[in-house]
Amino acid sequence: MYNGLSLDQAPPISVVLRFFFTVPVFGILLALIVFFYPHDVLTPTHPISLAAIHVMFLGIITMSMFGALFQMQSVLGGRPIPSVLGNAFLIHLFLVIGVLSLSGAFVLGTPELFIIASVFLGGSILYVATLILPLLFVGTPHDTLRGMRLALIALSLTAILGIVMASEYANLSFSAFHAVIRSVHYSLGLVGWIAILIIAVAFQVVEMFYVSTPYSPWCKRNAFKVIAVSLFLKIIWLFTTLPYVWVFDLVIGALLIGFVTTTAKRLKMRKRRVSDVSIWFWSSGIILLSLAVVAHMVSLSNGYPQSQSISLIAFGLFALAVILGMMGKIVPFLVWFHLNSAGYMDTPLMSNIIPQSRAKGVFTLFILTSFTSIVGVFYIEFFALSALIGAAMFTLLLINLIKAYKLYRYTLSHGKRFEQI
Amino acid sequence: MILEFMRDDHRACDHFYSEAENALAAKKTEEAKELFELFYRATNHHFDMEERELFLTFEKRTGMMGGPTQMMRYEHQQLRSQLESMRLALLENRTDDFFGIGESMMIMLQQHNMKEEQMLYPMIDRTLGDDGALMIQTLKDMEK
Repeated sequence: MYNGLSLDQAPPISVVLRFFFTVPVFGILLALIVFFYPHDVLTPTHPISLAAIHVMFLGIITMSMFGALFQMQSVLGGRPIPSVLGNAFLIHLFLVIGVLSLSGAFVLGTPELFIIASVFLGGSILYVATLILPLLFVGTPHDTLRGMRLALIALSLTAILGIVMASEYANLSFSAFHAVIRSVHYSLGLVGWIAILIIAVAFQVVEMFYVSTPYSPWCKRNAFKVIAVSLFLKIIWLFTTLPYVWVFDLVIGALLIGFVTTTAKRLKMRKRRVSDVSIWFWSSGIILLSLAVVAHMVSLSNGYPQSQSISLIAFGLFALAVILGMMGKIVPFLVWFHLNSAGYMDTPLMSNIIPQSRAKGVFTLFILTSFTSIVGVFYIEFFALSALIGAAMFTLLLINLIKAYKLYRYTLSHGKRFEQI
Repeated sequence: MILEFMRDDHRACDHFYSEAENALAAKKTEEAKELFELFYRATNHHFDMEERELFLTFEKRTGMMGGPTQMMRYEHQQLRSQLESMRLALLENRTDDFFGIGESMMIMLQQHNMKEEQMLYPMIDRTLGDDGALMIQTLKDMEK
């Protein structure tokens, strides 16, 4: 009954940073793909497009979310992840190999690579789910925990469907359900995994970090139920080819707009008026999510591939905005926290670990990347330009992370600890 | 319920901090000092309520001496040290240092509050049962 908090809860800094360091590397890889093949990336179901989508949603977004999950579990879940170093090492390794082999499989069309991708990606994702999910069912449940559970279940199902499709690609034999499986795979991955996890985190972070009015209990209690039921019914509708399947997209879209509205209101009315880059990222994120929802609704009504592309790009950028905003807070905090807890007298302040000027640099480049990539759906030159700006953004992010880590290492080896005086 | 009572107290402390931070950002240094003092006192009082009454009663009833309450005490110690550094920075008009320390203090405080609100207080509520109301009265009676 009372299992829970322990003194050594926070995972070692390397656990989280190994995931975060990989994010800009995949970001630069994505930028290269977009720069050299802008037309192909914008062509739905083109192998290059599929490679780019998986680098974005697995190599960048899921990679950062796994890193954040390892950190959040100890705070929100209350129970530390067992053998955290070894487990993080394997999960990270599997995910890296999986994303690279899957992207390679799409680009090269090599069946063996699809098999390798299935083994490593499926392994990594199901490994995370079996490791963390049981811990989320222990102790007192709360809304964020419920969201995290649902997100991990959706991710596991997404992975299973991914494995099914990868085996179809490997054998070049597609079942009659291939298109349906792909739709379900997208819905579960984008809404079930990414949107639900971000909403769950927002319920905690926005209220507590910015000291805003709490989200309404009704909203917290029912948001995940509405999404879960809508996704479940949408899957049944898709597999049984029933009409009006778009109704479920409408319901989910309305809920996401509700989330955007209520979050914008809380950010606007926050008590902590001091503005920082993370708030700018959250604000940009909710604008991009609104754009993604509107573009998806337009694509449902007219079926234009451009609307679909805008929706997917804006959704990816929404998730990236939240990730970059949170990463800019988590990394300096972790460096500070681990040094301070170890008793180093000269632990640098958070604002000196990633200075505001470089954090603002990442934000400016993010806004330019967002603008050019969305305009790029209509003017291909802008899309190629977005790749260059995106590459600059991920390079700066990598520099920020490396400098933060170097400062951590430097203080570890040169700093004075309280016990030494 | 202990959870509601202590959660409201967390929010009241957060409010004082936001006000102090806002005043300092608006260059109203003297007002910021007064408001920070309110936050400093309210937060230390909150820690005292937990350490002198709530945790002791919980530990006596459950026999858990080295568990979650010990973890919370350790975090109180770290947070108290942060509060002292901020107070000194404000006294010496080192505004950047105040904001710098405040950033990490706030994340740490919020993580600490999350753990208490989501795990520890519900545990205490279950342990105290009907005696919860009496405990709230005891906490209210503690001098600020």
